[in-house]
Order: sequence, then structure tokens, then C-alpha cells
Amino acid sequence: MILGQLNRKQTLDIAMALGKVLLKSGAETSRVEDTIERFCAKNHYPDVNVFVTPTVIVLGDEQPDGYSCVCRIRSRSTNLRTVSEINDFLYNLDKWPLDYEGTMDYFNNKLKETPPYNDKLICLASGLASAGFSAMLGGNSHDFIAAFVTGLIAMLVLKLLSGYRPSAFWENALAGATIAIVAIMCCAVSVQCTMDKIIVGAVMPFVPGVAFTNGLRDYMAGDLVSGNSRVAEAILFASSIAVGLAFVLQAWHKWGWDLW
Amino acid sequence: MVMGLYESFLYSFLATIAFAVLFQAPKRTLIISGVIGAIGWVVFVYLRQYLEYNSFHANFLATVALALISELSARMFKQPATVFLIPGIIPLVPGLGMYQGMKQIIEKSYDNGVTTLLTAGTDSAAIALGIMVIASIFRVIKISATKNFWTK
Repeated sequence: MILGQLNRKQTLDIAMALGKVLLKSGAETSRVEDTIERFCAKNHYPDVNVFVTPTVIVLGDEQPDGYSCVCRIRSRSTNLRTVSEINDFLYNLDKWPLDYEGTMDYFNNKLKETPPYNDKLICLASGLASAGFSAMLGGNSHDFIAAFVTGLIAMLVLKLLSGYRPSAFWENALAGATIAIVAIMCCAVSVQCTMDKIIVGAVMPFVPGVAFTNGLRDYMAGDLVSGNSRVAEAILFASSIAVGLAFVLQAWHKWGWDLW
Repeated sequence: MVMGLYESFLYSFLATIAFAVLFQAPKRTLIISGVIGAIGWVVFVYLRQYLEYNSFHANFLATVALALISELSARMFKQPATVFLIPGIIPLVPGLGMYQGMKQIIEKSYDNGVTTLLTAGTDSAAIALGIMVIASIFRVIKISATKNFWTK
């Protein structure tokens, strides 16, 4: 039972932990702001102000001697299960069993816990997504298999290199280069493969379509700053993938089999 | 290129489920988000290729269809609508257009590149608009159900 027991500092602490988990799981900024405001209002502190962009959470009140905190978010991934769990937390707040320390531990563990699907499954899913998209966009059965292999290997390379913490630009450029290399190999193996359809399918797990659309949704909801940053992020990712792919493809067109 | 609707349904179902796994969606929502994504794509293919709507309208109407189902299943399964929406819009979002536009710009065909990028932008706007319309309607319904506007 947590409701009605927290003082102002504890409320803001939990609200910050909540927002941090939510933003790191890839929730929209308006959802994070809404969740924090609702949590504070339910604990009878409706005057708390919160400002969220994809990289920072600012939480505080309007008094000069009030308590306020800032949290910088450096890495984000998408984890819809956590978003759903925090939604449950907020809606069942009056039945929540843990006290203040327990809740803080719960959120800190959430930041550390491994995602529900492991890396092997993620690679398989990436392959399956690539194959499905290459078929949706008009590829034949050879393209289906080639796109599966390409998407799987590209995600595998990313997962293997994630220990070196590459920046987002290099990560995507590398994915693009891997896709181009594997697609060229697949075309060398089977004549019936069309390079375009393989690449079109295999880039789908990496292209930032959802990020761009979410950026426009942020604009429409009035979150101009986070809209800006999401759209900029999407354009950066798209160009980094294109750079990686175009680099390999142009080298291939220029020298071809001489590269061996 | 005209594709059969059943094939489209099958492939987009597969792709959406795979993307839901990539986004770490909860296990019990995987199938339903697959169906939602597939419905969105089938509506899009039907409008775009059989009725020959333009890209903006087809994207908008397909998003309205899938956002409606997402909001309903969010109420039914007690999940936030995002869990269904983010995988569901995956077949529609123009990630491919953005990548192709950037690639054309890198290859110095600026006209095609800018055209492709702007088309991707308007398609994204259509999708975002569709989501906003349905979300706003549901919010209005919810608020007017909780407090009676006319009596107080």
C-alpha cells in the first residue's frame, strides 16, 4: 500500500524512477509526462511540473525553494512489455503491495533486468521480418529465403558488436554494409534472387519509420522539442543506413569480382 | 504489381509478429498485434491497388482502421494502446521511403531523392493523423462517460 503514505520528496523520487524506466523503454514523451503527472496527482501533489524530451527528464515545482531533479537519458530501446507493466502499476495504484523502498527497488531492478526475448530470438525475428517484408513488396521465394538470411546476419553482427558500444550512426552504417555484403553473396549463389528485393526487405528492421511517425505525433500533440529530436534522429538513422549500403554497393559496382 | 489480399495478409501478419518480438511486446499480445498489422496492410493494399486511392488517403484510412482495432483491443486486454499500435503501423510506416530517399541523395539524384523523402513525410503525416483522430475520439468518449457534461 503506497497511496497516501508518501511525502513530497518520496513522491518525486518514485515519479522520477518511473519516468526513467518508461523513457528508456521507448515510450512517447507525452505518455511519460502524463504518467508522472497522474502519479503525482494521485498522491495529492498536483502542482508538480514535468518536462520530458527523448534525452532528459526535468521534474520539479514552481517554488524557488522546492525540490527538483533532472535525469539525463543516454540510451533508449523499445520494450513494450515494460510500458505495459508501468501502465498496470498506475491503474492499480490503490492495490499496490510494496512500500516506498520496495517500489524504488522494483524500478531500479526494472532498469537492470534483461528483456523478455533473448538475442537469438531477436535475430530470428529480424530475419522473419525481413523475409515477410521482401515478400510483401513483391519478392519471389528465393528472395524470401535470401532476405531471411540477410536480416538474421545483419542483426547478429549488431548483437556481436554491441559490447563495443558503437554510436547509433556507426551501428546503422554497419548494419547497412552487412546487408549489402550478404545480399551480394546471395545473388552470387542464386541467379533468381533480385538484389533490390532482398535489400528492401532486409533494411526494414533498421529503418526508422516508427521513429519518424512518432516524431510527427509528438508535433501534433504539441511536444515540439521532442518532435524535433525524434525527426532529426530518424533522418540521421536513415542516412547512416544509406551510407553503409551505398558504400559497399558502389565498391561492388566499381570493382566487382576484382575485389577477391 | 498487384498482389492477392490473402498473401498480403499472411506476409504482413508474419512481419508484424516478428517486429512485435523485436519491440519486446508482451507474449500474449503477439498474435493480436499481428492481426492488427495485417488488417492495416490489407486495407492499404485494397485501397491503393484495387481502388487506386492516392498514397495519403490510403495510408490515412488504413491507419484509422488499425488504430480503431488497437484501441478496442487495448480496452479488451487491459493494455496501453501503444503496445498494439507500434507493431501495428509497422507495415505502413515509410521507413523504406526514407532510406531510399537518402540513398538517392547520396547517389546524387537529388530530384528523385527529395521527392521520395517528401512522399515519405506526407505518408508519415497521414499515419500520425489517423492515430491522433482515433485517440482523440476515444479520449472524448472516455471523458464524457466519466463526468456528465450537460448536468454540471
